[in-house]
Amino acid sequence: MSSIQRRMTWGLCAACTLLWSLGGLALYLIVRAGLFAEFDSALKANARAWATMTSQKDGRVIFDYDGDLPPAFRSLHRPDYFQMWLPDGSTLQRSSSLRGRDLALRAGAVARPELSDLTLPDGLPGRAISIRFVPHVDDEGPPSPVRLNGEVTLTIARHRGELDRRLSLLATALLVVGAVMAAATAFLVAVAVRRGLRPLSQLGARAAAIDASTLQLRFPIKGIPMELQPITIRLNNLLERLEKSFEHERRFSADVAHELRTPIAELRTLAEVALKWPEDSDMARDALHDALGVALQMEAIATGLLALARCERGLLPVHLEPVCLGPLIREISRSLNGDATTKPTSVSIDVPDDTRWLTDAFLLHAILSNLLSNAFQHSPAGGSIRLLAESNQLSVANSVDDLSPDDLPHLFQRFWRKDPARSSSEHSGLGLALAKAYAGVLGLELRAELTDTKEITFVLSGAKVCSPTAVATC
Amino acid sequence: MRILLVEDSKRLQSSLGCGLRKAGFAVDLTGDGREGLWLAESSDYDVIILDLMLPSMDGLSILRGLRAKGRAVHVLVLTAKDTIEDRVRGLQAGADDYLVKPFAFEELLARVQALCRRSYQLKNPLINIGDLQVNVAAHLVARRGKPIDLTPREFKLLEYLVLRRGEVVSRSDIETHIYADSVELMSNVVDSAVCVLRKKLSRPGAAPLIRTRRGFGYVLEGAAK
Repeated sequence: MSSIQRRMTWGLCAACTLLWSLGGLALYLIVRAGLFAEFDSALKANARAWATMTSQKDGRVIFDYDGDLPPAFRSLHRPDYFQMWLPDGSTLQRSSSLRGRDLALRAGAVARPELSDLTLPDGLPGRAISIRFVPHVDDEGPPSPVRLNGEVTLTIARHRGELDRRLSLLATALLVVGAVMAAATAFLVAVAVRRGLRPLSQLGARAAAIDASTLQLRFPIKGIPMELQPITIRLNNLLERLEKSFEHERRFSADVAHELRTPIAELRTLAEVALKWPEDSDMARDALHDALGVALQMEAIATGLLALARCERGLLPVHLEPVCLGPLIREISRSLNGDATTKPTSVSIDVPDDTRWLTDAFLLHAILSNLLSNAFQHSPAGGSIRLLAESNQLSVANSVDDLSPDDLPHLFQRFWRKDPARSSSEHSGLGLALAKAYAGVLGLELRAELTDTKEITFVLSGAKVCSPTAVATC
Repeated sequence: MRILLVEDSKRLQSSLGCGLRKAGFAVDLTGDGREGLWLAESSDYDVIILDLMLPSMDGLSILRGLRAKGRAVHVLVLTAKDTIEDRVRGLQAGADDYLVKPFAFEELLARVQALCRRSYQLKNPLINIGDLQVNVAAHLVARRGKPIDLTPREFKLLEYLVLRRGEVVSRSDIETHIYADSVELMSNVVDSAVCVLRKKLSRPGAAPLIRTRRGFGYVLEGAAK
């Protein structure tokens, strides 16, 4: 499994190791260049000194060295070497350390001597400098008209063992230090990455502990690094929405269970009790009457749920036509007001006769029936219902005495009822959910508003108003 | 046996009440939580059948209220709430039994009868008193091996006397637990019922089982075997 911590640790370790290696290599090369420059500088000084000590007189080259050669050329252990050639290639002088052997003849100007690595006569690696020069004329004695024809070549070679040893020591030191640094870097990087990613790990551990039963948990914002704060805030928002959604689902499931279990329990008990005492015909008749009531109640629930499902799947046919609001509302109001089960309520309808909407008459009838039925059922005795149409908007207002603003978000939820006991068998709690779904199908918005005076208003808005000249009058 | 049914579904209340009465129980009905609590506190019930989702006061609050006041009456919770958490919550609140809707009426009856027996510390449903055999679970009565046919209400009267055998059971106790829903003031329904029961239980040459203690009530004599 990929891990950010592992990837960051490996990446940073690799990057640091590469940087340490490049740094070490650069340091090695710089020091090496410095050591070579120092070595070569000594060789050059030596060669120039030897060139100074070489003169010509009467066409002959005079190597003007007084006394023994410097100890470096006489040493038995890793001595220096030199050899000087005349322009014709014959050897003018060679150090005794060469023991008659020759160095390789190379050429280089005094200003730009040729430096090269070579294998010394004793088989060890060395470094040599070669210069070609015209020996100066010895000005002692009478001047001679004869001049040396050509240049003398001088090569000085020196063991580079010490140089190589110092370079090898440097390389070893750099490798050891580099290895230690790499190990220390790996440890520090691992610790730093683990510490740096600890808030992320804590966030992950906390997220892993959240399941459907602990959706009330939230991620702490305080102390969280600023990079993680947007994620934490989003996660908290998501959890809040999930918690609400789960709560809604739980409540819906419980409501469905109650709405379905209770009538089934009623039916079963009615049937079982009637069957247990079949000789009691009065009880059997009452049971059948009650069973019919239960069946009608369950039919209403099934019809409502089916209609909601059709709305959600877009299977509800919509036939748009001009619909006159006034007559439709008055018809529904009359039928509900005449219902013996409704409480005495006064209804005021302020809907101009010529208000026409381009909509589906059947669905609008269903919406208004639900809203008005709801208003009749929940208005206190002696209360009033007001209907007001304004252009593309219709509002149905009635007084209520048991609703609070907290109830508003639940009004359109299916099976929601204010009464937690859900005692009434007359309503299933699907009416307003259906009205909202139908309004959505028609492209209308249905919302509820509660005033301080305990009056609830359902507002149906967004309707397409028919032009007065476009259709016949109502 | 006297039962209080607290159920807000009118149809369920009516059919259950009817079935329980037919089974010989005296049943009080209410669909309101507060009224249910008041009835439970003010009367002596053998079993309370309690719905949880009730208007004015939920069933769990009623249950807790009863237990907080030390009422040991047996309570059977009858509800549509079927989750493990709901059951645990109900039983932890003090319910003696929990039945989920929909349910079989026979099962409810059997559970109520079991709770009634438990009220009188009786576990074996088969009781022998002298030559009288009573099976309170199967509702069978026999004397000297011969079965006796009793109506449900008569059986409940006998069962009540059997459960309290050796004790003097007052008329008012019998009225309260067996005839609460049918006794009118100054009626002699208890005396009549006891008289009928005596006749049905009597056997030639056998000593009467139910004796009258004048001014106190009735006592069913004989040790249980």
